Amino acid sequence: MNIRPLTPRRYVLALAGWVLLWLIVSAVAVVLGAENIWAWDSWEKARDVLTLRLYGVLTAGAVGAALALAGLAFQALLRNPLAEPYILGVSGGAGLGVILSSLYLTVMAAPVFGFVGALLTVAVVYAVAQRRGRLEPYTLLLTGVIMNAFYGAAIMLVTALVSPERRGEIAYWMMGTISTFDPRWWLVAVVGGLVLAAAVLFAFLAKGFNLVAVGEDTAGALGVPVDRLRLVTFVVASLVTGASVALAGPIGFVGLICPHLLRMALGPDHRRLVPAVVCFGASLLVVADLVTRLLEGIGGVAPPVGVLTAMAGGPFFIYLLRTRWRRKIEIR
Amino acid sequence: MAAKNRNPVAANPDTPGATGGLSASAPGSAKGAPYLEADGVGFAYTPGAPVLQGLTMALARGRLACVLGPNGSGKTTLLRILVGLLVPSEGRVRLAGTPLEAYPRGALARRVAYVPQETLAAVGFTALETVLMGRSPHTGALGFESSGDWHAAREALRRTDTERFARRNLEELSGGERQRVIIARALAQEPDVILLDEPTSFLDIKHQHGIYGLLRRLVAEEGKTVVAVSHDLSLAAAYADRLVLVSEGRVAAAGTPHEVIRPEVLSPVYETPVEVRTDEATGRPYVLPRPAG
Repeated sequence: MNIRPLTPRRYVLALAGWVLLWLIVSAVAVVLGAENIWAWDSWEKARDVLTLRLYGVLTAGAVGAALALAGLAFQALLRNPLAEPYILGVSGGAGLGVILSSLYLTVMAAPVFGFVGALLTVAVVYAVAQRRGRLEPYTLLLTGVIMNAFYGAAIMLVTALVSPERRGEIAYWMMGTISTFDPRWWLVAVVGGLVLAAAVLFAFLAKGFNLVAVGEDTAGALGVPVDRLRLVTFVVASLVTGASVALAGPIGFVGLICPHLLRMALGPDHRRLVPAVVCFGASLLVVADLVTRLLEGIGGVAPPVGVLTAMAGGPFFIYLLRTRWRRKIEIR
Repeated sequence: MAAKNRNPVAANPDTPGATGGLSASAPGSAKGAPYLEADGVGFAYTPGAPVLQGLTMALARGRLACVLGPNGSGKTTLLRILVGLLVPSEGRVRLAGTPLEAYPRGALARRVAYVPQETLAAVGFTALETVLMGRSPHTGALGFESSGDWHAAREALRRTDTERFARRNLEELSGGERQRVIIARALAQEPDVILLDEPTSFLDIKHQHGIYGLLRRLVAEEGKTVVAVSHDLSLAAAYADRLVLVSEGRVAAAGTPHEVIRPEVLSPVYETPVEVRTDEATGRPYVLPRPAG
């Protein structure tokens, strides 16, 4: 456990290390893929393939960073180690908003509706799970399950009302995919910018996250404006979740896996976790997307990256529930 | 008992004011000048159901006061108002003569520390990290700690005799050890005032006396002003300079232990017969409950 003083020098060095990890992983993911590029290939072909891969890598990086950051923030503020955007139904709410916007309004408005769907879900989950000013952990998770079921039904209803062609598109999108068929660079730039801004903001709120995780009265007595911190964090976490869902659909468990793996390695200090989780989340989803592309090279079809994260994240969730965090949840 | 020689009350009992005031002189403050005072404080979580009503009390610097009272009488609410977590709906709280709301959050946190009665949040912080959190009001926005902050945290661990737990996870410590670490966190804030909500609940008799002995030392040796909520009347009477008995959101009695720990004062408030005796060794009163009927 690292309990050396957190100095500006150590902070910058750690940040540089995490950024370097993300850059190396991204570079490898741009070079590798289902289709090989040979020295005798034309420059145009190489450029087109590498550009599309770069788009996929940046998309996966932005989405992974967004979900991991949102997961860390939800876990800190809800004081629940199992909270993350997908499990709480926040991704589902964002997904419904994005689908409704894409079908009946415009694709350009999808991130805004994704944000609204995410924020409404957080508000409902928070209101239902709160009793006398305290959040009940299991009620919180159950409310998330119910919200997910509700959004699933609503999306099925919407899907049933559209043409068979759109139906297939929606079904595939709901699995969570890093698609390079219709590159939307502007959306990647918007989501990337939002994640970066959120990361900077959360870096300044991290001290408050530590104190709220210990206890809200403790945090308040140590000078943290708890109500304002909670409001700002939920709004910003919902914003990045909504934007990431607009970009790649609901991808589950990234927000659960990344913060927990980093806690095991770095300890519970959010001042260290915030910069780490952004780069690690980005790197993890880039690797997951690379795996799907390499599987495409073997089998001819790329499985959606959301399927991969769910297959890894589901057992991880059960592991956390049964072992590592069981006692901690009961205590709260 | 260590408290006997250090406690100024037995030698110099003050007379409480008509409103339950606890005015007392102490080194470092003007004679009789209240340092922490609640003036006609009222509060209600839901309209029409007041928890506190016109509560008035004042405490001079360098005193240990215990707030007593039955369950639901408003003790914890009073403490949360004194630390600024709740804003009274009527009346006001003053610290060193300045209304609490005039202090910026950070400035107030550097002067008043609070040890809440919270269930353990098993987050995984070590004792040292927990104590370092007490430096939070002193650090910048990103929370980088200076060597001075680390020195203050180490010093707080030393004063609470918890240095050996520094690198151990808080969840691994016993209740008494953990409570001392939490008090160390309050000390690391370097406050003038420490407020504690039932600091000895769930602790055995050894750790109860250990905690109150520590609080007494903080008052006697460092001039801290300490207010602790307690359900243990005898323990409070053994260590406190002043007692405030709260009932139904009002001060039912206040003064020295001998003035408050009396059957005719306690029995109506707790609605149970009690017998009060005096400990010959300390000269302090203690309470024996008598079975009702």
